[in-house]
Amino acid sequence: MTALAFKRDTTPNLFAQDFAQNRSVFPGAGLAWLEARRSAAMDAFAKTGVPTRRVEAWKYTDLANALEADAIPAARFHGSLDADNPFAIAGGAELLLVNGFLQRSIGAKGIEIVDLGGLDSNTPDWVKENLGLMAAGAAQPLGAASLALMRGGAALRVRGHETVRLHFANPASDHDTVSHARVLIVAEAGASLRLFESHSSEGESQSLANLGMELVLKSGAKMEHIRVQTGAANALHVTSLGASLAKDAEYRALYAAMGGRLSRLDIDVKLGSAGAHATLHNVAVLNAGIADVTTVMDHAAAHTTSRQLFKSVVGGRGRSVNQGRVSVRKGAVKSDSHQLFKALLLSPRAEADAKPELEIFADDVVCGHGTAIGALDADALFYLRARGIPELEAKGLLIRAFLADALEGFGDEALRDALSVRLDAALGALEEATP
Amino acid sequence: MNMLEIDNLHVTVQGKEILKGITLSIPAGEVHAVMGPNGSGKSTLSYTLAGREGYEVTGGHIYYKGEDLVPLSPDARAAKGVFLALQYPVEIPGVVTLTFLKTALNAQRRARGEPELDAMRTLRLVREKATALKINEDMLRRPLNAGFSGGEKKRMEILQMALFEPTLAILDETDSGLDIDALKLVAEGVNALRSPSRAMLVITHYQRLLSYIVPDRVHVLAGGRIVKSGGADLALELEKSGYEGVEAA
Repeated sequence: MTALAFKRDTTPNLFAQDFAQNRSVFPGAGLAWLEARRSAAMDAFAKTGVPTRRVEAWKYTDLANALEADAIPAARFHGSLDADNPFAIAGGAELLLVNGFLQRSIGAKGIEIVDLGGLDSNTPDWVKENLGLMAAGAAQPLGAASLALMRGGAALRVRGHETVRLHFANPASDHDTVSHARVLIVAEAGASLRLFESHSSEGESQSLANLGMELVLKSGAKMEHIRVQTGAANALHVTSLGASLAKDAEYRALYAAMGGRLSRLDIDVKLGSAGAHATLHNVAVLNAGIADVTTVMDHAAAHTTSRQLFKSVVGGRGRSVNQGRVSVRKGAVKSDSHQLFKALLLSPRAEADAKPELEIFADDVVCGHGTAIGALDADALFYLRARGIPELEAKGLLIRAFLADALEGFGDEALRDALSVRLDAALGALEEATP
Repeated sequence: MNMLEIDNLHVTVQGKEILKGITLSIPAGEVHAVMGPNGSGKSTLSYTLAGREGYEVTGGHIYYKGEDLVPLSPDARAAKGVFLALQYPVEIPGVVTLTFLKTALNAQRRARGEPELDAMRTLRLVREKATALKINEDMLRRPLNAGFSGGEKKRMEILQMALFEPTLAILDETDSGLDIDALKLVAEGVNALRSPSRAMLVITHYQRLLSYIVPDRVHVLAGGRIVKSGGADLALELEKSGYEGVEAA
């Protein structure tokens, strides 16, 4: 691959040039259905380019400014890698993606796996029918770029009750790099899936891991999605996620962001039929950089429900961004939605931006939202210390207490232990950065 | 030996002097009461003894078992055996009561160089102390003080006192918000902990509590100073004459 020139005042060019120069060697090049979707996605992306703060949905997170000018497309990784396994989970399918390329996969009985880095004329219909229909429009510009510039990824079709572990690694590199990958998951009617997704990165140079993710939950399908993102100090993680839920489908997600220079989760959930339900919990623990979660919860049908609970613990000079739009379409009566954003600021330079929005075009709905940003409660801290608990330990206890309800109800004990180890590490770093 | 010796204590809160020269000694084995009207400095005294941030000692001394208490952090004081039962125990949703008790108990033990107790031994110890205070298992499994009634919160304070076995216990308005049955239960809990090796300072606005926890000495706090001291009957006198007469004296 050739290095691409990139100038900040001509932001979109980095990706546009990649598309122009390399599209003929992208996986699936020559497949008409895919070419058409890639081109449409490129057009959608071109409307904003890499977003600056002038793009309303990105006004708290300046990706264009954070992205290094000399970033090149990440290459397939050939070294050996100690794949990090943050989930103490055995069994099920296991996929390792390095620099966005599917490096290794272990299958499971009820799961079909397709390597998106090797698409050809034998691509199964279920991939053709679904790939690139979500997380690829102008509202999710990086999602659009991830499809247009996709180099690798995986598509999974799930039947029955399955567990999938998906790990993304960005190993250290001499260059600043960008990787574009896609994940498509189709949960067939009545299927249930536990998806554990983890992201890690290493090295001094910058890596932008740009992931587009599509979750198709057919009628009655259930999915529990647990995502943990850690990252090197200079890592940028952008994930654009589109989920569509059919009748009585249920999507429950816990996202945890604990590191990196910038992370952005751009989520669009469509509750498309009666009985569909989504629960989104987000936990961010950071002392530097930005952790941004921006959601659109689309109540597109009557009798749909959603719950969103976002908790951020921010120390040092970190910044958390939570934006959530709940939209209730015409006719989506009896929609029931709630969103709550809470942030705990541990240092004078920490920042939290929260922006809940409601768009309601139907009668007879219940939509609630709330926001609270504050410091640790001085009364509670004194109370614990007066009982003999030293200051740092008392703060740790209160921070964990603050996060407790966001973590509740997900995974099993082994997973909670694994998550707890991650949280401890992140909180430890936070304490060091926050005198 | 005096368990607590307060000598000409001056305390400033947010730039305002609240305690203006308090002198008070409590020998081991005794229970002293500090009574006073609202705004007399009762809570400031209790917070200062426990070491709360923002309560600045601008003059005088506090000695606990002969050691200067002022430079010590609240947790160091607790580990050394100072306990403050709060007027308004703090609700901490997200921290299970039992976990809190174990964490606090072991933090104190660690600070004293004693071995920590495992979960089973802590649970046994807590259960044993909880029964007398009619604190059931369910309360112990709930988040600390969250949704507890006023009486439950005060009983939880006394349970902690029983568990931590302090040598100096300060009870700040432990009677506030309690009905007579709850008051009796709490007082029984406190009385059970009276011992020759322990001193207690009971801070209250009303005489009522002192009918159940009978003090050895009563001090009247007004305007940031101790204006009168006497035996247990001083509390009864105050009940009749009110604080106005005392403040004038």
